Amino acid sequence: MKWRWLALAPVLAVLAGVPWLGDAVLIQFGINALLIATLAQSWNILGGFTGYVSFGNSAFYGLGAYGTAIAMAQWHQPFWLGLALGAVLAVVVAAVLGGPILRLRGPYFAIVTLGISAALSALFANLDIAGKNIGLILPLTRDDAMFYELSLGLLAAATVAVAWIARSRFGIALIAIRENEDAAAAVGVDATRYKLAALILAAVFTALAGGIHAYWITFIDPAGSFDTTLDVRMVIMTMFGGPGTVFGPVIGAFVLSAIYEVLANGISTAAALFFGLVILLAVIFLPKGLIDLGGGFRALGWRYFLANIERHRL
Amino acid sequence: MSAPLLVLHGLVAGYGDVPVLHGVDLTVESGELVALVGSNGAGKTTLLRAVSRLLKSGGEIRFGGTDIAAREPEAVFGLGLVQVPEGRQLFPRMSVEENLLMGAYRRRDRAAIGASLAQSFDLFPVLAARRRQMAGSLSGGEQQMCAIARALMAAPRLLMIDEMSLGLAPIIVDRLLDVLVKIRGQGVTILLVEQDVFAALSVADRGYVLEHGRIVRAASAAELKSDPALQRAYLGAEDAP
Repeated sequence: MKWRWLALAPVLAVLAGVPWLGDAVLIQFGINALLIATLAQSWNILGGFTGYVSFGNSAFYGLGAYGTAIAMAQWHQPFWLGLALGAVLAVVVAAVLGGPILRLRGPYFAIVTLGISAALSALFANLDIAGKNIGLILPLTRDDAMFYELSLGLLAAATVAVAWIARSRFGIALIAIRENEDAAAAVGVDATRYKLAALILAAVFTALAGGIHAYWITFIDPAGSFDTTLDVRMVIMTMFGGPGTVFGPVIGAFVLSAIYEVLANGISTAAALFFGLVILLAVIFLPKGLIDLGGGFRALGWRYFLANIERHRL
Repeated sequence: MSAPLLVLHGLVAGYGDVPVLHGVDLTVESGELVALVGSNGAGKTTLLRAVSRLLKSGGEIRFGGTDIAAREPEAVFGLGLVQVPEGRQLFPRMSVEENLLMGAYRRRDRAAIGASLAQSFDLFPVLAARRRQMAGSLSGGEQQMCAIARALMAAPRLLMIDEMSLGLAPIIVDRLLDVLVKIRGQGVTILLVEQDVFAALSVADRGYVLEHGRIVRAASAAELKSDPALQRAYLGAEDAP
């Protein structure tokens, strides 16, 4: 196993070297891609491993953004303290809400999570300390290379966390919950506690990404922070790359970010249409994600895609 | 004589305002194979859910001498009270072997887990032949074997089996009952909860008959089997065969 991790070192080195290319547009694309990949990877902890499809993780993103913004803009505290405040807020909300909502299963869970972001958005739009509807302006720091490396570091940390989960007893419990929660209970897995732990872990990484993003763009408001389109993107990118795998969500996020960027540059208005088409084809022909394509194609050839259509019936 | 392994005293349980169990008294001694029989809706599954603490209940539940009425399901499981749930509840997309290893999730004694696995395959050779196959692709009888084997992997002190015969051909049920006798012979106490009254009584030491949430008969299995009233109620026979 060890050598496979070493093989990642050059990839990480190349990614870390991007800011030295000096291309401002590339760095900005990179920051966005790294942050959305972090969101997908965080979503993967609960959604990919336990199968609890959340459309509410943007709530943690927003809390991370507001924690950072309030600490920096209102209380004039350093950035890292803001990040910590955002993470703490997200953990508290995940712990309080997790208990009741994680009792719901399947579509009921998904529907309830849809409301969380909207509720928090309304709450922050009425808080004086959060700048009400107008939002907050953070101190400006023009150092995209720093934001890039921070985002890369956070994504690496989230990926290490998922890699640990995938090989741990904790991860086995999460997968058991996904495969059959009643069966998990029958073998003595404390499903409630494990689901809550997964949600809290996801909340921490999501909030840190929100904090970095807030400081980078220096301006936040309720609509932009508690943005449900983010939830949809996390889900799509994870599903596209391979849910419940270590690198699937990252690959999914990078590939889809790149495809969208190319489409938006090339054919602008039709970009959304083609983007939708890519997702549609992926769902039909690659239900286990992009990460399964290599091994599956080698084993089955073109029949791999037909086998995947069959798989939908299981 | 040692204390009974499981003691229920005045057990009451229900769903919301609907009471299902109205004061059930039941004991299982160590090493026994006890059958709890009754028709659909008598409260058998409710009783199992209460004992494994998946359902809140009133009254006394003692397991191995300790009061478990206020414990969490995971804690009760940790004491060795393991259930084979109704409908098998396997992990359909995991292999047979993975399912069995999941049964040992709470154990950390690797060597002993390996021995348990070998023992399970010994009891159910067909599972050994299908160890790499997805559990969801097994036949109903094989799935039930897999569910029982998985429960054994937890090294239970008391194995509670809910509706083992459900949806299975009589010949498969007979084969499973033979295995239960073997498992009991290995020192595992068994509480078998069954609608198939006479199948359960054919291997049990003692039996309890549950009707409308109350124990209406408690006697040795032999006595219950030859009880004309029971035969009328559960076999529909006018006279004893």
